[in-house]
Amino acid sequence: MSHLIMFHGKECPHCKVMMPVVDRLEKEKSISIERLEVWHNEKNADLMRSYKDIISPKCGGQLRTPTFLNLDTKEVICGETEYENLEKWASK
Amino acid sequence: MKKYFRCFVCNDIHYGLKPPEICPTCMVKNAYVEISSEEAIKIMRQNRISMNRDKFLKAIESFAEKNEFQVNPDQEKVNLLIEGIHNNEKNHGLKYCPCRMITKDFNEDLKLVCPCNFLIHETYKDKKEGECWCGLFVKKEVKG
Repeated sequence: MSHLIMFHGKECPHCKVMMPVVDRLEKEKSISIERLEVWHNEKNADLMRSYKDIISPKCGGQLRTPTFLNLDTKEVICGETEYENLEKWASK
Repeated sequence: MKKYFRCFVCNDIHYGLKPPEICPTCMVKNAYVEISSEEAIKIMRQNRISMNRDKFLKAIESFAEKNEFQVNPDQEKVNLLIEGIHNNEKNHGLKYCPCRMITKDFNEDLKLVCPCNFLIHETYKDKKEGECWCGLFVKKEVKG
């Protein structure tokens, strides 16, 4: 199973919207997505920055939240997305 | 290449190709001297004007008033974002957007200070219902 990460911010409304979608995906597909908060946890922020070269081309040249990173395929989804897109991202 | 300049009278900081002839803060003529980015960052942090959440909200509402955009009518979203902006200023030094992440390159990260230059962003430009990345500002509805 792929190593799946969601970088999110505590006060980011898009992240808040995506949380139930992630919950549903985890439950329905019996998978786990590692949720890493980046504005209040410097270790998580550094980890996100370390993937800048992979993330930023998909996120308007920046680091934005939420960012979904599939560490195995290097597939990135930036921002709010539909359940079906997230499912494809996770299952690749 | 842009450089930092400091007004030696009032410590006003200017970032640009050349400094203003007259300092817009203290109105003294030819008062700017070139300084390093490190010194500019130090002075800006010392001079930071503390603004509570209500004052910041009023400031951005006033900023939006005469523009083609407005503060998002979704109050819950706005409250969450302002909380994040406030926390980022407290924890990271400036009013950074809560929906992006700083790179630790000070000059690069100035682009993330709210309100950012969202008019050029793909989430706003050429969109009928455009908004800045975080959603704090949205395009005003076109009537008719």
